[in-house]
Amino acid sequence: MATALRSIPDAALGELRSICGEAFVLTDRSARFNRARVSTAFPVHRWADFVPDVVVLPATAAEVSDIVRLANAWSLPVVPRAGGTGISDGARPLRGGILVDIKRMDQILEVDLANRTATVQPGVNMRVLTDYLRPFGLIYPDQPGSYSQSLIGGRIGTNGWSMVGGRYGHPRDLVVSFEMVLPTGDIVRVGDGGGKSIRKSSSGYQLKHLFMGHQGTLGIATEATVEVVTRPECELPAYFAVEDWMAGYRVLGTIAHEGVATLSRVFLYDGWRLEYPLSEPLDFISPGQAVPCVGFALHGIEEEVRGAGKRLMRVLSQAGGRYLGDEVSRFEWASRYDRYIQPLHLGRARDGQVIPMYGHAQDAAIPYSELPTVRQKYEQIVRSLSERHEVFLFEETAVHPNGAFRAGGDYNMELRVGIWEQRLNDESWAAWVKAKRDLAIVAIEHGGSISNGHGTVCDGEVDVLPLELGHAFEVMKKIKRTLDPNNVMNPGKMGLDAAYESEFRDDDT
Amino acid sequence: MRGWLLADQITPEPTRVANGWVMRRDGVLEVDPELMRTYVRQQDMPRWDFERIVTARQDYLQSMETHMADRVLSGAEILQQVTREAADADR
Amino acid sequence: MATKPSNPEPSASSEAEREVLEKWSAAANVCFSSGHKYCQPMCPVMQVTRNENHSPTAFNANVVAMERGELGIEDVASDYVHCTQCGGCEIRCPNTLFTGDMYRFRLRTVDIVKAMRALAVESGIHQPAWEVWNRATDERKNEPVLGDLEVSQERVASWADGLDLPIGGETILFCDCEAAFYRTSLPRSVAAILSCAGVDFGLMREQWCCGGPAAEMGYMEQARRFAQHNVDDWRASGAKRILVLDPHDYIAFTEDYPRFFGNEFDFEIVLVVELVAELIRNGKLELTQPVERVVTYHDACRLNKRKGIYEAPREILRAIPGLTFRDVDRVTQWAYCSGGGAGLPIERPDLTAEISRRRVEKAAELEIDTLVSACVWSERYLAAAASEREDAIDVVDLMELVAQAAGLSSDPVS
Repeated sequence: MATALRSIPDAALGELRSICGEAFVLTDRSARFNRARVSTAFPVHRWADFVPDVVVLPATAAEVSDIVRLANAWSLPVVPRAGGTGISDGARPLRGGILVDIKRMDQILEVDLANRTATVQPGVNMRVLTDYLRPFGLIYPDQPGSYSQSLIGGRIGTNGWSMVGGRYGHPRDLVVSFEMVLPTGDIVRVGDGGGKSIRKSSSGYQLKHLFMGHQGTLGIATEATVEVVTRPECELPAYFAVEDWMAGYRVLGTIAHEGVATLSRVFLYDGWRLEYPLSEPLDFISPGQAVPCVGFALHGIEEEVRGAGKRLMRVLSQAGGRYLGDEVSRFEWASRYDRYIQPLHLGRARDGQVIPMYGHAQDAAIPYSELPTVRQKYEQIVRSLSERHEVFLFEETAVHPNGAFRAGGDYNMELRVGIWEQRLNDESWAAWVKAKRDLAIVAIEHGGSISNGHGTVCDGEVDVLPLELGHAFEVMKKIKRTLDPNNVMNPGKMGLDAAYESEFRDDDT
Repeated sequence: MRGWLLADQITPEPTRVANGWVMRRDGVLEVDPELMRTYVRQQDMPRWDFERIVTARQDYLQSMETHMADRVLSGAEILQQVTREAADADR
Repeated sequence: MATKPSNPEPSASSEAEREVLEKWSAAANVCFSSGHKYCQPMCPVMQVTRNENHSPTAFNANVVAMERGELGIEDVASDYVHCTQCGGCEIRCPNTLFTGDMYRFRLRTVDIVKAMRALAVESGIHQPAWEVWNRATDERKNEPVLGDLEVSQERVASWADGLDLPIGGETILFCDCEAAFYRTSLPRSVAAILSCAGVDFGLMREQWCCGGPAAEMGYMEQARRFAQHNVDDWRASGAKRILVLDPHDYIAFTEDYPRFFGNEFDFEIVLVVELVAELIRNGKLELTQPVERVVTYHDACRLNKRKGIYEAPREILRAIPGLTFRDVDRVTQWAYCSGGGAGLPIERPDLTAEISRRRVEKAAELEIDTLVSACVWSERYLAAAASEREDAIDVVDLMELVAQAAGLSSDPVS
């Protein structure tokens, strides 16, 4: 039986149609059900709880501004949605409302070769942008796992992480400035200082960093100016098998601290089930056998990459690593965006039968010194969960660099958990939420951050966001309250409803 | 030339290569079909479809190698150089 | 806009709906459990409308939502109009590209779109232009490709006037409706090429539409009936081998017809493009006349994405003397389309026009004077888009160029 859905007042709907045009205001069930989930584990058994009341597809910042003003006037929630590819529920509606789908705003507006920037609308995909830049000898090096499909608006909204951030930085470094429609409908440009293409300024508060990672709670990005960089002459990916995880952990640190400037990425996988068919794979890896694997990727001019490559290959060999060969290294690196979710490859029932499992990726940021302990605790939590509920499966952990421009110091401790979504129910979902909370607490207790790139929005972990941030969370609430007096922007996210509770308000009457 | 014939779209018998894994075509690993009996059944995949996927993957990976940079260096070649230099230093 | 059924029969439509959902549940749930939308930048319709309702993601998610009773066919029928069945989503999706062969389980969006369209028709929900188109096809036995001018069986082989082609035989050349009535230069070129190369073939006694478009638009009963007719005609002719010059027919004969007839379907289906590549390779067809053009090749979706056929057309182009060939690789072209497939130009001509406009614009960036395709259905829309431009870009079929290069063309492509 189809769940009855609510709707917004007809008068508000009429106003939305005047703003966007009738064709771009969607109230049909299909439009709404198809904009409920993002790429996060989804309680599909509760799908109807997360559908918006109406979907709008604006084309300009002015339209977005008018929509937000309308939302304030009518006290309607606004939920921005870019690609819908996020892994932290930022764009999942919690209270219905107006879902603002910005994908029509997908133009590359300008490439400024002199000042090395491109100005784009938020619906532009990074891979499309790099393809566009190719004739100019440029790339846009923001490369998350979702590189092929995520959109720049979402990268701002999540303060995302890039796989090649060790050399090129992350969206917070690469997005130089951007235009925001604030929760009041006002339009503002934020960056480092006031110049659109200025990378670093000391003029005033650096507001860009406030909005990076706001998860749609502080407005909607409607344009961005991003840094574009010289296309590298070459790349060198290299994958090595190591004896065990601790050996890998030690050499990971060594590689990161060598001082190699062309180092885009280092990584450590704890167990490597043979994932994809390669020719003659079986002489070094048996399918189903866990093989810890360490490696790196370098990008730059050939002189630098060769020199750095020699250094790091020597380090890894001397540490006892066994090079897995060019074919494996090239295959793994070339497919880096494409294999983070394969439901049938991740999914095994207790009887070993293949099942489709969603692949959740927990993405804590953890100081290097704490990685071994955190990894052990993570594995314990998930294995215990999976013993109690067959719909969950411990897959693997992986370590990636976290900071920008230099690997080392802190890392993304990625934990992969398989989830049999079709068989979720309220009990197993509650267990999942508790596990998320436990995983988040582990990160906090070890001096880390709950999320390095997806966001801390999901049920369970969001409860302990105040624990992670301490008093900074109070500042966060004040900012939210100041910029969004009516709590229209993505209400309910990140525990920010607390900003409107009477004991928090300065103007309590 | 031999065009498409339904009779040609046969699925060869699998050869077990490891626990849970089989091969029907050289170099292409497949999951043991016994593991897809209960919850998810294998699809009918004619030979042309299977070959199409294998070729598409190879072409895709090749295109990816020049997406971000102009060329990929050989780690094996660099490692050989490193090994040679280490041996020379030992002498 | 789709019409709702005026006299819905809940029990019949829900039984049919249950069957469709059961059949496609696994594939749809694998997509839904992945949630990662690699398909969306590939999808030619999504590139234009930017509306997730039209995305391959939604096409699969709708099945999951329908399984859970949250959507019905009446909620989604109009969404499924927005697809050219190009197959770009399927081949790009990592569930196909990286594990489809490993698990013998891939994304099946094209089949799901076809099944949902058929379910809509069965439930009495018709897209107005599709309904008219398929009724006209049923009446005339060929698609109404000439607009107000009627097509007819009396004229289905008129393209071959003066060529003295036999009827029947072991090898039949199947000439699809668009080629038979609209772009007659194509089948005339093919006939000349094959004859020159010593390939014997005949025509059908009574050639009906292949039925593929009806299947793509959801008119399955009609598709099957037409298929039966054609197969009966082939058998009556003693045919064992069917040459096809249109990729859409190739899809119909290698996918729809085996599903209709099972192992009884023992015909050999030969794509003319692949045959001609072989004839050139073996020296049976010599290309001696230079064709002084600067060309790029449009990878027809139903060859490149759906079938993995992309080398033979390029081999042919490289063999044509005088040609400057500026290629775009077949992987990049996974995101390209003419917009001409699966009934989209019939129900949403505005979308097809925009998709084609973008395709021609990409070609124009290469500073070419000719866009070559190996799919007659793409050529009408690409040519229309090219004619809107100020620069002069010809849209020609590969076989027309081959005929010219072989000195066979009585009206060379100008």
